[in-house]
Amino acid sequence: MEPIRILLVDDEEHIRLLFKEELEEEGYAIDLASNGFEALEKLKAQRFGLVVLDIKMPGMDGIQTLNEIKKIDKDQPVILCSAYGEFKQDFSSWVSDAYVVKSADTRELKDAIRKIVERASPPHENS
Amino acid sequence: MNFASTLGKVIEISHSNLEIASRVNAILNIISGDLHFEEVLVYTLDSDKRLSCRYMNRNSQLFDLLNDYRCHIGEGVVGTVAQKRMPQFFTLHDIPPRLGCLFYSRLDEVLARYKSFAFLPLADDSFLYGVLLCCSASKEGIADKERPVLSILARELGGILRTSDLLLSSKRRIAELATLSDLGRILTSTMEPHAILENIALITAKALNALFATIKLDFVFLKFNGQRFTSGTIESAVEAQVLDLESEALRLKQPVSRTDYGTPQKGNASSVSLFSVPVIAKDRMLGTITLCRKHEQKDVPDDQEDRYLLNTIASYISSGLENALLNIKLRDALRELGDAQRRLIEHEKLRSLGEMTANIAHEIKNPLVVIGGFTKRLAKKSHLDNSEAKYLDIITKEVARLESILNEVLNYVKETSLLFEFCDINNLLDEILYLLSSDKGWENILVSKAYDKRLPPLMCDVQQIKQVFLNILMNSFEAMHGNGTIAIGTEAATLDDKPFVAVSLKDTGGGVQSSFLDNIFNPFFTTKERGSGLGLAISKKIVTHHGGDIEVQNAPGEGVTFIVYLPSKKTDERGKAWNQ
Repeated sequence: MEPIRILLVDDEEHIRLLFKEELEEEGYAIDLASNGFEALEKLKAQRFGLVVLDIKMPGMDGIQTLNEIKKIDKDQPVILCSAYGEFKQDFSSWVSDAYVVKSADTRELKDAIRKIVERASPPHENS
Repeated sequence: MNFASTLGKVIEISHSNLEIASRVNAILNIISGDLHFEEVLVYTLDSDKRLSCRYMNRNSQLFDLLNDYRCHIGEGVVGTVAQKRMPQFFTLHDIPPRLGCLFYSRLDEVLARYKSFAFLPLADDSFLYGVLLCCSASKEGIADKERPVLSILARELGGILRTSDLLLSSKRRIAELATLSDLGRILTSTMEPHAILENIALITAKALNALFATIKLDFVFLKFNGQRFTSGTIESAVEAQVLDLESEALRLKQPVSRTDYGTPQKGNASSVSLFSVPVIAKDRMLGTITLCRKHEQKDVPDDQEDRYLLNTIASYISSGLENALLNIKLRDALRELGDAQRRLIEHEKLRSLGEMTANIAHEIKNPLVVIGGFTKRLAKKSHLDNSEAKYLDIITKEVARLESILNEVLNYVKETSLLFEFCDINNLLDEILYLLSSDKGWENILVSKAYDKRLPPLMCDVQQIKQVFLNILMNSFEAMHGNGTIAIGTEAATLDDKPFVAVSLKDTGGGVQSSFLDNIFNPFFTTKERGSGLGLAISKKIVTHHGGDIEVQNAPGEGVTFIVYLPSKKTDERGKAWNQ
């Protein structure tokens, strides 16, 4: 079975590296983008099962990127993953499928990913 | 006998500048010497309408006997003359014993020394001022030609006494006015109410020559319920009567008085009189003011006048208390305002502290995630011995602790967030101007617009940014007193290599005094009479919150230009901007 492709968008190199390794361990195929524009380019070029999107990024921030992504494909699952919880108040963030506060403990992120992946392709029906 | 020279002397003295008493005494001496009367005495009318013997010629022997008793009008010969205002003349044969008055007990042996008596009223056309009594030991009777002379002299004396009355009453009136003006000064002062009341008691006691003056507040008023403000000492003997009288005045809602209370001790001829007036403000009984005075037989005060004064004082007190109440309310309101101001400033300080804290927390969070995340990975991958694994576990736990601390801090300093949306600033400005144009007074404001139609896209909290421009425009409007020109321009700008939209608002309101310039964005700084001083402070805060800035260009004498910088997206993103 093809692994689920996840696009990881974050402007911090070390965060990208950490999440890439953590998620690859879970069996996902990880692609990286360091900003919103790069992410949009990659999304236009190929399909991803999921986008994990940082919010505070230079240039185009995560919320704007999210909106652009939804314009390209309104069914594209996106998880917002920010260091801060306060963007939850911004209703623009509500179009995302999940909102995870970044933490050294990646379990919350992994749980959120698992739920969305299972929802998109329920394991029983797929088998 | 030269009557003319006598009259001449009398008239000269009567119109001199001498004291009243000296003039009267001198005239009595002239009458005694020139007209040969051994006794020349003057009775005057007291305020209680009784006659007492007050003036005498030199060597008078009757005076001491006569001034023991004050006779009523109509009583005895003196009283009858006063009542009928007709002179009476007697010889020793027809004079009534003791001058017709029972109470001159010691006169019996003395009267026989004199052969003739003249009683003349001292009056002008309308008022009686006293009675002149002349006794002669040598004359067999008062001759007919002497009578008109005595009448003229009596009239002259009446005139002097009248002057004396006028003088006394105007002195009294002046004293009253001085008292009232003292009171007025106290009542309009910003003294504490208890100080005001104490001062009123003091002034009242002094002005009315009282043993004590006491103000008691009965109304639940300024927390003074039942309190007493006294000048002088309330003797324990009269305390009960004072309380009694006060409650009576309150009950009847009118002044009440009692005389002859006090401590009748042997050898103490004086008693006291009490007078209590209710203090009423707008039909509300606030309390009473009560006066206690020595009440002496010989010296009867002019009660009517004093009561009038005390009534006036009572009404002064009521208005004074109302004033004091208002003053206190005003002071309380000011204090509350000051407190609110302090709280707000404190809040501002906390807010900027909070902003700083939030910024630091934000910067720390990402590296912390990286440290913690990789430590965990290290622990998972390496084949470490126990102690090495323990070290990594400690790092992981400490990072988790730091993370939770950071989350708490961020929660604490969290602000109401901005509701970002894409916005066309030109449209927004037009909308605001449209809103303002319907306001009163705006028809005289000329607005010139220079909009850049190709502005980069802007994301902002539209409601808050609207507030910013409204504040600035209202400020300009007020600075121009409703008459002038506002030039509004928009353009793209670059600050620190970042794209911004700059909105300039230029007025012709005369500009800001340059010493004020540093303060105009400080909270509570205002040059307007009714400004809160928050408008520009809030505007600055909102713009700063958006990541922008407000710049002020001041041209004293001409006007002020506010330039609002709001961060925008790159121009090339414009096409991609939110589109619905």
